[in-house]
Amino acid sequence: MASMLSAGLRSDSNIEVHKYYGGTVIITAFLALVLQAFLHKYGRWSELIDLPLLVTVYFGVSRRNTSTGLLLGAAIGILQDALSFDNPIGLYGIAKTLVGYVSSSIGGRIDTEHPLSRFGLIFLLFHFHQVVFAVTQRVLLNHSAPFFTLRLLLDSVITSTVGVALFALLDRLRRSA
Amino acid sequence: MLNVYSRHRSFALLICVVFAQVLLLAFQIKRDRDVPLIRYWAAELVTPVGRAGTWTSSKIRGVWTGYIDLHGARIENKQLQAEVDQLRLRNFELEAQAKESQRLQLLLDFRQAHPEAPMLAAQVIGASADPTSHTLFINRGEHDRIRRDMAVITPDGIVGKVVEVFSNDTAQVLLIDDKDSGVGALFADTRTHGVVKGTGDPLPIMDYVVNDEKVHPGEVILTSGEDRIFPKGLPVGVVKDASPGTPFQVIHVQPAVHLDRIEDVLVLLTRQDVALKSTEVPVDPNAQTAAPVAAPASASPDSKSTGASPASKPAQPSAPPQEPR
Repeated sequence: MASMLSAGLRSDSNIEVHKYYGGTVIITAFLALVLQAFLHKYGRWSELIDLPLLVTVYFGVSRRNTSTGLLLGAAIGILQDALSFDNPIGLYGIAKTLVGYVSSSIGGRIDTEHPLSRFGLIFLLFHFHQVVFAVTQRVLLNHSAPFFTLRLLLDSVITSTVGVALFALLDRLRRSA
Repeated sequence: MLNVYSRHRSFALLICVVFAQVLLLAFQIKRDRDVPLIRYWAAELVTPVGRAGTWTSSKIRGVWTGYIDLHGARIENKQLQAEVDQLRLRNFELEAQAKESQRLQLLLDFRQAHPEAPMLAAQVIGASADPTSHTLFINRGEHDRIRRDMAVITPDGIVGKVVEVFSNDTAQVLLIDDKDSGVGALFADTRTHGVVKGTGDPLPIMDYVVNDEKVHPGEVILTSGEDRIFPKGLPVGVVKDASPGTPFQVIHVQPAVHLDRIEDVLVLLTRQDVALKSTEVPVDPNAQTAAPVAAPASASPDSKSTGASPASKPAQPSAPPQEPR
Protein backbone atom coordinates (compact mmCIF):
# COMPACT_ATOMS: atom_id res chain seq x y z
CA MET A 1 0.00 0.00 0.00
CA ALA A 2 2.77 2.29 0.96
CA SER A 3 4.65 1.48 -2.23
CA MET A 4 1.53 2.14 -4.33
CA LEU A 5 1.07 5.48 -2.65
CA SER A 6 4.67 6.32 -3.13
CA ALA A 7 4.44 5.37 -6.79
CA GLY A 8 1.23 7.34 -7.28
CA LEU A 9 2.20 10.38 -5.34
CA ARG A 10 5.22 12.22 -6.62
CA SER A 11 7.15 15.10 -5.36
CA ASP A 12 6.82 18.37 -7.28
CA SER A 13 10.35 18.01 -8.56
CA ASN A 14 9.46 14.76 -10.33
CA ILE A 15 6.35 16.09 -12.06
CA GLU A 16 6.80 16.76 -15.74
CA VAL A 17 5.05 19.84 -17.06
CA HIS A 18 3.94 19.35 -20.65
CA LYS A 19 4.20 22.11 -23.20
CA TYR A 20 2.06 22.59 -26.27
CA TYR A 21 2.44 24.45 -29.52
CA GLY A 22 1.10 27.97 -29.53
CA GLY A 23 -2.67 28.20 -29.84
CA THR A 24 -3.20 24.51 -29.19
CA VAL A 25 -5.04 25.06 -25.91
CA ILE A 26 -7.28 27.81 -27.27
CA ILE A 27 -8.08 25.99 -30.50
CA THR A 28 -8.78 22.71 -28.71
CA ALA A 29 -11.03 24.38 -26.16
CA PHE A 30 -12.81 26.26 -28.92
CA LEU A 31 -13.28 23.09 -30.97
CA ALA A 32 -14.66 21.28 -27.92
CA LEU A 33 -17.27 23.99 -27.48
CA VAL A 34 -18.14 23.99 -31.18
CA LEU A 35 -18.38 20.20 -31.30
CA GLN A 36 -20.55 20.14 -28.19
CA ALA A 37 -22.94 22.58 -29.85
CA PHE A 38 -22.59 20.93 -33.27
CA LEU A 39 -23.15 17.34 -32.13
CA HIS A 40 -26.25 18.35 -30.24
CA LYS A 41 -27.90 18.77 -33.62
CA TYR A 42 -27.55 15.09 -34.34
CA GLY A 43 -29.30 13.79 -31.26
CA ARG A 44 -29.49 13.87 -27.51
CA TRP A 45 -26.78 11.23 -27.23
CA SER A 46 -24.24 14.06 -27.34
CA GLU A 47 -25.57 15.18 -23.94
CA LEU A 48 -23.94 12.09 -22.46
CA ILE A 49 -20.50 13.57 -23.06
CA ASP A 50 -19.18 16.83 -21.63
CA LEU A 51 -16.37 17.72 -24.03
CA PRO A 52 -15.62 21.18 -22.50
CA LEU A 53 -15.16 19.50 -19.12
CA LEU A 54 -12.75 16.96 -20.63
CA VAL A 55 -10.65 19.70 -22.23
CA THR A 56 -10.60 21.66 -18.98
CA VAL A 57 -9.45 18.61 -17.05
CA TYR A 58 -6.88 17.56 -19.64
CA PHE A 59 -5.08 20.88 -19.88
CA GLY A 60 -5.40 21.34 -16.15
CA VAL A 61 -3.61 18.11 -15.32
CA SER A 62 -1.13 18.42 -18.18
CA ARG A 63 0.06 21.96 -17.64
CA ARG A 64 -0.17 21.70 -13.89
CA ASN A 65 -0.52 25.42 -13.52
CA THR A 66 -3.43 26.25 -11.27
CA SER A 67 -3.71 29.84 -12.51
CA THR A 68 -3.97 28.95 -16.19
CA GLY A 69 -6.10 25.94 -15.30
CA LEU A 70 -8.71 27.97 -13.48
CA LEU A 71 -8.68 30.72 -16.10
CA LEU A 72 -9.13 28.20 -18.90
CA GLY A 73 -11.97 26.58 -16.96
CA ALA A 74 -13.58 29.97 -16.38
CA ALA A 75 -13.35 30.90 -20.06
CA ILE A 76 -14.73 27.58 -21.26
CA GLY A 77 -17.51 27.64 -18.65
CA ILE A 78 -18.55 31.21 -19.45
CA LEU A 79 -18.63 30.42 -23.19
CA GLN A 80 -20.66 27.31 -22.48
CA ASP A 81 -23.11 29.42 -20.49
CA ALA A 82 -23.22 31.98 -23.25
CA LEU A 83 -24.04 29.33 -25.84
CA SER A 84 -26.83 27.89 -23.75
CA PHE A 85 -30.33 29.28 -23.95
CA ASP A 86 -31.37 29.91 -20.39
CA ASN A 87 -28.28 29.47 -18.22
CA PRO A 88 -27.22 32.69 -16.57
CA ILE A 89 -23.60 33.51 -17.38
CA GLY A 90 -21.38 32.12 -14.65
CA LEU A 91 -23.22 28.95 -13.77
CA TYR A 92 -20.95 26.63 -15.72
CA GLY A 93 -18.24 29.25 -15.36
CA ILE A 94 -17.93 28.79 -11.59
CA ALA A 95 -18.07 25.01 -11.82
CA LYS A 96 -15.42 24.76 -14.49
CA THR A 97 -13.23 27.36 -12.81
CA LEU A 98 -13.10 25.13 -9.77
CA VAL A 99 -12.60 22.01 -11.90
CA GLY A 100 -9.70 23.70 -13.69
CA TYR A 101 -8.13 24.68 -10.40
CA VAL A 102 -8.58 21.27 -8.79
CA SER A 103 -7.38 19.33 -11.83
CA SER A 104 -4.27 21.50 -12.06
CA SER A 105 -3.61 20.94 -8.39
CA ILE A 106 -4.11 17.17 -8.70
CA GLY A 107 -2.05 16.99 -11.85
CA GLY A 108 0.87 18.32 -9.86
CA ARG A 109 0.59 15.58 -7.28
CA ILE A 110 -0.36 12.28 -8.86
CA ASP A 111 0.38 10.34 -12.00
CA THR A 112 -2.23 11.22 -14.61
CA GLU A 113 -0.69 9.37 -17.55
CA HIS A 114 -2.13 5.94 -16.92
CA PRO A 115 -5.56 5.33 -18.53
CA LEU A 116 -7.04 3.98 -15.32
CA SER A 117 -5.93 6.95 -13.27
CA ARG A 118 -7.27 9.21 -16.01
CA PHE A 119 -10.60 7.39 -15.96
CA GLY A 120 -10.84 7.76 -12.19
CA LEU A 121 -9.80 11.38 -12.28
CA ILE A 122 -12.34 12.32 -14.91
CA PHE A 123 -15.04 10.34 -13.12
CA LEU A 124 -14.40 12.15 -9.84
CA LEU A 125 -14.06 15.58 -11.41
CA PHE A 126 -17.28 15.03 -13.33
CA HIS A 127 -19.18 14.54 -10.09
CA PHE A 128 -17.27 17.36 -8.41
CA HIS A 129 -18.34 19.59 -11.32
CA GLN A 130 -21.94 18.43 -10.86
CA VAL A 131 -21.85 19.09 -7.13
CA VAL A 132 -20.54 22.63 -7.64
CA PHE A 133 -23.08 23.17 -10.41
CA ALA A 134 -25.93 21.96 -8.19
CA VAL A 135 -24.79 23.98 -5.19
CA THR A 136 -24.55 27.13 -7.29
CA GLN A 137 -28.01 26.56 -8.65
CA ARG A 138 -29.48 25.86 -5.22
CA VAL A 139 -27.78 28.73 -3.42
CA LEU A 140 -27.76 31.46 -6.02
CA LEU A 141 -30.67 30.59 -8.27
CA ASN A 142 -32.85 28.74 -5.77
CA HIS A 143 -33.25 25.87 -8.25
CA SER A 144 -33.49 22.28 -7.09
CA ALA A 145 -30.64 20.70 -9.04
CA PRO A 146 -29.70 17.06 -8.23
CA PHE A 147 -26.31 16.15 -6.82
CA PHE A 148 -26.47 12.59 -8.05
CA THR A 149 -28.75 10.54 -10.26
CA LEU A 150 -28.38 7.30 -12.20
CA ARG A 151 -28.38 9.32 -15.38
CA LEU A 152 -25.47 11.39 -14.03
CA LEU A 153 -23.66 8.17 -13.16
CA LEU A 154 -24.12 6.92 -16.72
CA ASP A 155 -22.98 10.29 -18.07
CA SER A 156 -19.89 10.20 -15.89
CA VAL A 157 -18.94 6.69 -17.00
CA ILE A 158 -19.37 7.53 -20.67
CA THR A 159 -17.58 10.85 -20.36
CA SER A 160 -14.71 9.14 -18.51
CA THR A 161 -14.44 6.44 -21.17
CA VAL A 162 -14.45 8.96 -23.99
CA GLY A 163 -12.05 11.10 -21.98
CA VAL A 164 -9.44 8.33 -21.77
CA ALA A 165 -9.46 8.03 -25.57
CA LEU A 166 -9.52 11.79 -26.06
CA PHE A 167 -6.61 12.32 -23.67
CA ALA A 168 -4.56 9.82 -25.66
CA LEU A 169 -5.28 11.80 -28.80
CA LEU A 170 -4.49 15.12 -27.16
CA ASP A 171 -1.18 13.70 -25.90
CA ARG A 172 -0.02 13.79 -29.53
CA LEU A 173 -0.28 17.58 -29.48
CA ARG A 174 2.43 17.84 -26.89
CA ARG A 175 5.60 19.58 -27.88
CA SER A 176 8.53 17.25 -27.57
CA ALA A 177 11.19 18.35 -25.09
CA MET B 1 8.62 29.77 0.09
CA LEU B 2 8.24 30.66 -3.54
CA ASN B 3 6.04 27.64 -4.04
CA VAL B 4 3.79 28.63 -1.15
CA TYR B 5 3.53 32.11 -2.54
CA SER B 6 2.67 30.75 -5.94
CA ARG B 7 0.00 28.52 -4.46
CA HIS B 8 -1.56 31.38 -2.51
CA ARG B 9 -1.43 33.57 -5.57
CA SER B 10 -3.35 31.08 -7.64
CA PHE B 11 -5.77 30.53 -4.79
CA ALA B 12 -6.36 34.24 -4.58
CA LEU B 13 -6.90 34.31 -8.31
CA LEU B 14 -9.43 31.51 -7.92
CA ILE B 15 -11.30 33.43 -5.28
CA CYS B 16 -11.35 36.50 -7.48
CA VAL B 17 -12.55 34.68 -10.56
CA VAL B 18 -15.24 32.79 -8.69
CA PHE B 19 -16.30 35.91 -6.84
CA ALA B 20 -16.51 37.85 -10.10
CA GLN B 21 -18.74 35.21 -11.56
CA VAL B 22 -20.91 35.11 -8.44
CA LEU B 23 -21.30 38.86 -8.77
CA LEU B 24 -22.15 38.46 -12.42
CA LEU B 25 -24.76 35.86 -11.52
CA ALA B 26 -26.14 38.03 -8.75
CA PHE B 27 -26.35 40.95 -11.11
CA GLN B 28 -28.29 38.90 -13.63
CA ILE B 29 -30.63 37.54 -10.97
CA LYS B 30 -31.15 40.81 -9.09
CA ARG B 31 -31.80 42.88 -12.20
CA ASP B 32 -33.45 40.02 -14.01
CA ARG B 33 -31.27 40.93 -16.95
CA ASP B 34 -29.10 38.90 -19.17
CA VAL B 35 -25.61 39.73 -20.42
CA PRO B 36 -26.40 39.85 -24.12
CA LEU B 37 -22.98 41.07 -25.13
CA ILE B 38 -21.23 37.91 -23.96
CA ARG B 39 -23.84 35.72 -25.59
CA TYR B 40 -23.57 37.71 -28.81
CA TRP B 41 -19.77 37.38 -28.90
CA ALA B 42 -19.95 33.67 -28.12
CA ALA B 43 -22.46 33.09 -30.87
CA GLU B 44 -20.45 35.14 -33.34
CA LEU B 45 -17.40 33.12 -32.43
CA VAL B 46 -18.90 29.67 -32.64
CA THR B 47 -21.59 29.83 -35.33
CA PRO B 48 -19.30 30.40 -38.36
CA VAL B 49 -17.36 27.28 -37.45
CA GLY B 50 -20.56 25.38 -36.83
CA ARG B 51 -21.93 26.55 -40.16
CA ALA B 52 -18.78 25.44 -41.93
CA GLY B 53 -18.95 22.11 -40.12
CA THR B 54 -22.56 21.63 -41.13
CA TRP B 55 -21.75 22.48 -44.76
CA THR B 56 -18.78 20.12 -44.78
CA SER B 57 -20.65 17.27 -43.15
CA SER B 58 -23.58 17.66 -45.54
CA LYS B 59 -21.19 17.58 -48.51
CA ILE B 60 -19.37 14.55 -47.14
CA ARG B 61 -22.69 12.86 -46.48
CA GLY B 62 -23.83 13.71 -49.99
CA VAL B 63 -20.67 12.32 -51.55
CA TRP B 64 -20.91 9.24 -49.37
CA THR B 65 -24.56 8.48 -50.05
CA GLY B 66 -24.44 9.60 -53.67
CA TYR B 67 -21.22 8.00 -54.82
CA ILE B 68 -19.44 5.80 -52.32
CA ASP B 69 -22.15 4.02 -50.36
CA LEU B 70 -23.91 2.62 -53.43
CA HIS B 71 -23.14 -0.98 -52.58
CA GLY B 72 -26.59 -1.47 -51.07
CA ALA B 73 -28.20 0.26 -54.03
CA ARG B 74 -26.40 -2.02 -56.46
CA ILE B 75 -27.52 -5.12 -54.58
CA GLU B 76 -31.05 -3.77 -54.35
CA ASN B 77 -30.97 -2.97 -58.05
CA LYS B 78 -29.89 -6.51 -58.88
CA GLN B 79 -32.62 -7.96 -56.69
CA LEU B 80 -35.25 -5.72 -58.22
CA GLN B 81 -34.02 -6.53 -61.72
CA ALA B 82 -34.26 -10.24 -60.97
CA GLU B 83 -37.73 -9.69 -59.57
CA VAL B 84 -38.76 -7.75 -62.67
CA ASP B 85 -37.43 -10.55 -64.89
CA GLN B 86 -39.36 -13.14 -62.91
CA LEU B 87 -42.52 -11.07 -63.01
CA ARG B 88 -42.09 -10.48 -66.73
CA LEU B 89 -41.71 -14.21 -67.29
CA ARG B 90 -44.72 -14.89 -65.11
CA ASN B 91 -46.65 -12.27 -67.08
CA PHE B 92 -45.77 -13.99 -70.34
CA GLU B 93 -46.90 -17.31 -68.88
CA LEU B 94 -50.20 -15.83 -67.73
CA GLU B 95 -50.77 -14.12 -71.06
CA ALA B 96 -50.10 -17.40 -72.85
CA GLN B 97 -52.47 -19.21 -70.49
CA ALA B 98 -55.14 -16.57 -71.05
CA LYS B 99 -54.80 -16.87 -74.83
CA GLU B 100 -54.88 -20.64 -74.59
CA SER B 101 -57.99 -20.53 -72.46
CA GLN B 102 -59.62 -18.20 -74.99
CA ARG B 103 -58.81 -20.60 -77.80
CA LEU B 104 -60.07 -23.58 -75.84
CA GLN B 105 -63.20 -21.65 -74.94
CA LEU B 106 -63.82 -21.05 -78.65
CA LEU B 107 -63.38 -24.75 -79.36
CA LEU B 108 -65.68 -25.66 -76.49
CA ASP B 109 -68.32 -23.21 -77.65
CA PHE B 110 -68.06 -24.62 -81.14
CA ARG B 111 -68.40 -28.19 -79.97
CA GLN B 112 -71.31 -27.38 -77.69
CA ALA B 113 -73.02 -25.63 -80.59
CA HIS B 114 -72.80 -28.83 -82.62
CA PRO B 115 -73.68 -31.69 -80.33
CA GLU B 116 -74.79 -33.77 -83.32
CA ALA B 117 -71.25 -33.93 -84.69
CA PRO B 118 -68.81 -35.86 -82.55
CA MET B 119 -65.47 -34.14 -82.54
CA LEU B 120 -62.29 -34.28 -80.57
CA ALA B 121 -60.16 -31.38 -79.51
CA ALA B 122 -56.44 -31.69 -80.08
CA GLN B 123 -53.35 -29.63 -79.61
CA VAL B 124 -50.77 -29.02 -82.27
CA ILE B 125 -47.52 -30.46 -80.98
CA GLY B 126 -45.29 -30.04 -83.98
CA ALA B 127 -44.91 -29.44 -87.67
CA SER B 128 -43.06 -30.93 -90.54
CA ALA B 129 -39.32 -30.51 -90.69
CA ASP B 130 -39.58 -30.32 -94.47
CA PRO B 131 -40.32 -26.72 -95.53
CA THR B 132 -42.07 -27.89 -98.68
CA SER B 133 -44.38 -30.19 -96.77
CA HIS B 134 -47.17 -28.38 -94.94
CA THR B 135 -48.16 -30.82 -92.22
CA LEU B 136 -48.81 -30.70 -88.51
CA PHE B 137 -48.64 -33.19 -85.69
CA ILE B 138 -51.46 -33.32 -83.16
CA ASN B 139 -51.61 -35.01 -79.77
CA ARG B 140 -54.31 -37.44 -80.76
CA GLY B 141 -53.75 -40.84 -82.30
CA GLU B 142 -55.05 -44.31 -82.72
CA HIS B 143 -55.87 -44.57 -79.04
CA ASP B 144 -58.25 -41.67 -79.45
CA ARG B 145 -59.98 -43.39 -82.38
CA ILE B 146 -58.44 -41.04 -84.86
CA ARG B 147 -58.44 -42.48 -88.39
CA ARG B 148 -56.96 -41.43 -91.68
CA ASP B 149 -58.89 -38.91 -93.78
CA MET B 150 -60.69 -37.40 -90.83
CA ALA B 151 -61.31 -33.67 -91.23
CA VAL B 152 -59.41 -31.27 -89.02
CA ILE B 153 -61.05 -27.91 -88.46
CA THR B 154 -61.19 -24.91 -86.17
CA PRO B 155 -64.18 -22.70 -85.47
CA ASP B 156 -62.81 -20.40 -88.20
CA GLY B 157 -62.74 -23.01 -90.93
CA ILE B 158 -61.03 -26.10 -92.26
CA VAL B 159 -57.39 -26.87 -91.53
CA GLY B 160 -56.66 -30.13 -93.34
CA LYS B 161 -57.09 -33.85 -93.04
CA VAL B 162 -55.50 -36.64 -91.07
CA VAL B 163 -53.01 -38.44 -93.30
CA GLU B 164 -51.21 -40.61 -90.80
CA VAL B 165 -52.19 -42.03 -87.44
CA PHE B 166 -49.57 -43.23 -85.03
CA SER B 167 -50.13 -45.59 -82.18
CA ASN B 168 -48.40 -43.34 -79.72
CA ASP B 169 -51.20 -40.80 -79.53
CA THR B 170 -49.98 -38.77 -82.43
CA ALA B 171 -51.45 -38.07 -85.82
CA GLN B 172 -50.19 -36.17 -88.83
CA VAL B 173 -52.40 -33.59 -90.51
CA LEU B 174 -51.99 -32.46 -94.10
CA LEU B 175 -52.80 -28.75 -94.34
CA ILE B 176 -54.96 -27.46 -97.14
CA ASP B 177 -52.10 -25.36 -98.52
CA ASP B 178 -49.86 -28.37 -99.02
CA LYS B 179 -49.15 -29.10 -102.67
CA ASP B 180 -50.67 -32.61 -102.31
CA SER B 181 -53.88 -31.33 -100.75
CA GLY B 182 -57.22 -30.95 -102.51
CA VAL B 183 -60.57 -29.94 -101.06
CA GLY B 184 -63.91 -30.03 -102.81
CA ALA B 185 -65.23 -26.48 -102.60
CA LEU B 186 -67.89 -24.12 -103.91
CA PHE B 187 -68.57 -20.42 -103.91
CA ALA B 188 -71.08 -19.49 -101.23
CA ASP B 189 -72.96 -17.07 -103.49
CA THR B 190 -72.93 -18.66 -106.96
CA ARG B 191 -72.64 -22.30 -105.78
CA THR B 192 -70.06 -22.88 -108.51
CA HIS B 193 -67.95 -25.90 -107.70
CA GLY B 194 -64.22 -26.31 -107.87
CA VAL B 195 -61.30 -27.79 -106.03
CA VAL B 196 -59.09 -25.87 -103.64
CA LYS B 197 -55.59 -27.18 -104.20
CA GLY B 198 -52.45 -26.47 -102.32
CA THR B 199 -49.52 -25.10 -104.26
CA GLY B 200 -46.84 -25.17 -101.64
CA ASP B 201 -47.20 -21.40 -101.34
CA PRO B 202 -49.12 -19.77 -98.52
CA LEU B 203 -52.09 -19.19 -100.80
CA PRO B 204 -53.85 -22.23 -102.28
CA ILE B 205 -55.74 -21.90 -105.55
CA MET B 206 -59.28 -22.84 -106.51
CA ASP B 207 -59.10 -24.85 -109.68
CA TYR B 208 -61.59 -26.00 -112.28
CA VAL B 209 -63.52 -22.74 -112.44
CA VAL B 210 -64.14 -21.73 -116.02
CA ASN B 211 -63.09 -18.34 -117.30
CA ASP B 212 -66.68 -17.32 -118.00
CA GLU B 213 -67.53 -17.51 -114.32
CA LYS B 214 -67.43 -14.09 -112.64
CA VAL B 215 -65.35 -14.32 -109.50
CA HIS B 216 -64.81 -11.36 -107.20
CA PRO B 217 -62.18 -10.91 -104.52
CA GLY B 218 -63.63 -11.45 -101.09
CA GLU B 219 -66.06 -14.09 -102.26
CA VAL B 220 -66.55 -16.78 -99.65
CA ILE B 221 -65.57 -20.36 -100.44
CA LEU B 222 -67.07 -23.30 -98.56
CA THR B 223 -66.48 -27.02 -98.61
CA SER B 224 -68.73 -28.86 -101.05
CA GLY B 225 -68.50 -32.26 -99.38
CA GLU B 226 -67.58 -33.93 -102.67
CA ASP B 227 -64.22 -35.07 -101.38
CA ARG B 228 -65.91 -37.25 -98.78
CA ILE B 229 -63.59 -35.89 -96.14
CA PHE B 230 -64.90 -32.48 -95.16
CA PRO B 231 -68.56 -32.07 -94.37
CA LYS B 232 -70.37 -29.70 -96.66
CA GLY B 233 -70.56 -26.01 -95.82
CA LEU B 234 -67.41 -25.48 -93.77
CA PRO B 235 -65.49 -22.25 -94.48
CA VAL B 236 -62.42 -22.75 -96.63
CA GLY B 237 -61.48 -19.13 -97.17
CA VAL B 238 -62.13 -16.16 -99.39
CA VAL B 239 -61.03 -15.23 -102.88
CA LYS B 240 -57.87 -13.18 -102.73
CA ASP B 241 -57.65 -12.47 -106.43
CA ALA B 242 -58.76 -14.08 -109.68
CA SER B 243 -57.35 -13.94 -113.20
CA PRO B 244 -58.13 -15.74 -116.47
CA GLY B 245 -56.02 -18.80 -117.19
CA THR B 246 -55.75 -21.77 -119.45
CA PRO B 247 -57.97 -23.67 -119.40
CA PHE B 248 -59.38 -22.47 -116.02
CA GLN B 249 -59.20 -19.29 -113.97
CA VAL B 250 -56.36 -18.84 -111.53
CA ILE B 251 -58.06 -18.01 -108.25
CA HIS B 252 -55.93 -17.46 -105.19
CA VAL B 253 -57.64 -18.31 -101.94
CA GLN B 254 -56.96 -16.72 -98.59
CA PRO B 255 -57.55 -19.56 -96.09
CA ALA B 256 -60.09 -18.85 -93.37
CA VAL B 257 -57.64 -20.20 -90.81
CA HIS B 258 -54.18 -18.84 -90.16
CA LEU B 259 -52.46 -22.08 -91.03
CA ASP B 260 -49.09 -20.94 -89.77
CA ARG B 261 -50.27 -20.16 -86.24
CA ILE B 262 -52.61 -22.96 -85.26
CA GLU B 263 -52.38 -24.27 -81.72
CA ASP B 264 -55.66 -26.07 -81.10
CA VAL B 265 -57.86 -27.92 -83.56
CA LEU B 266 -60.92 -30.09 -83.68
CA VAL B 267 -60.91 -33.49 -85.36
CA LEU B 268 -64.30 -34.40 -86.78
CA LEU B 269 -64.98 -37.99 -85.91
CA THR B 270 -67.78 -38.25 -88.44
CA ARG B 271 -68.55 -37.26 -91.97
CA GLN B 272 -71.85 -35.90 -90.80
CA ASP B 273 -72.40 -32.36 -92.04
CA VAL B 274 -71.78 -29.65 -89.52
CA ALA B 275 -74.24 -26.83 -89.80
CA LEU B 276 -72.32 -23.63 -89.33
CA LYS B 277 -74.15 -20.40 -88.72
CA SER B 278 -72.69 -17.07 -89.58
CA THR B 279 -72.82 -15.92 -85.96
CA GLU B 280 -71.06 -19.02 -84.72
CA VAL B 281 -68.11 -19.01 -87.03
CA PRO B 282 -66.40 -15.65 -86.96
CA VAL B 283 -63.82 -15.35 -89.65
CA ASP B 284 -60.48 -14.24 -88.31
CA PRO B 285 -60.36 -10.44 -88.60
CA ASN B 286 -56.72 -10.67 -89.53
CA ALA B 287 -57.59 -12.78 -92.50
CA GLN B 288 -58.19 -10.74 -95.64
CA THR B 289 -61.83 -11.66 -95.90
CA ALA B 290 -64.51 -9.36 -97.11
CA ALA B 291 -67.57 -11.01 -95.67
CA PRO B 292 -68.48 -13.36 -92.84
CA VAL B 293 -68.76 -16.99 -93.73
CA ALA B 294 -72.29 -18.33 -93.95
CA ALA B 295 -74.14 -21.11 -95.63
CA PRO B 296 -76.00 -23.84 -93.92
CA ALA B 297 -75.01 -27.09 -95.51
CA SER B 298 -78.53 -28.40 -95.59
CA ALA B 299 -79.64 -25.46 -97.73
CA SER B 300 -77.44 -26.50 -100.59
CA PRO B 301 -78.98 -28.40 -103.45
CA ASP B 302 -75.68 -30.18 -103.86
CA SER B 303 -75.92 -31.89 -100.56
CA LYS B 304 -76.80 -35.17 -102.20
CA SER B 305 -73.93 -35.03 -104.57
CA THR B 306 -71.34 -36.25 -102.09
CA GLY B 307 -72.22 -39.85 -102.86
CA ALA B 308 -69.93 -41.26 -100.25
CA SER B 309 -70.23 -44.94 -99.69
CA PRO B 310 -70.44 -46.17 -96.10
CA ALA B 311 -67.29 -48.17 -96.58
CA SER B 312 -65.30 -45.17 -97.56
CA LYS B 313 -66.41 -43.04 -94.61
CA PRO B 314 -64.09 -42.56 -91.68
CA ALA B 315 -64.82 -44.38 -88.49
CA GLN B 316 -67.62 -42.93 -86.38
CA PRO B 317 -66.90 -43.81 -82.79
CA SER B 318 -69.72 -43.73 -80.33
CA ALA B 319 -67.54 -42.56 -77.49
CA PRO B 320 -68.14 -39.01 -76.31
CA PRO B 321 -65.64 -36.37 -77.32
CA GLN B 322 -62.68 -35.92 -75.07
CA GLU B 323 -61.15 -32.79 -73.65
CA PRO B 324 -57.83 -31.68 -75.08
CA ARG B 325 -54.81 -32.85 -73.16
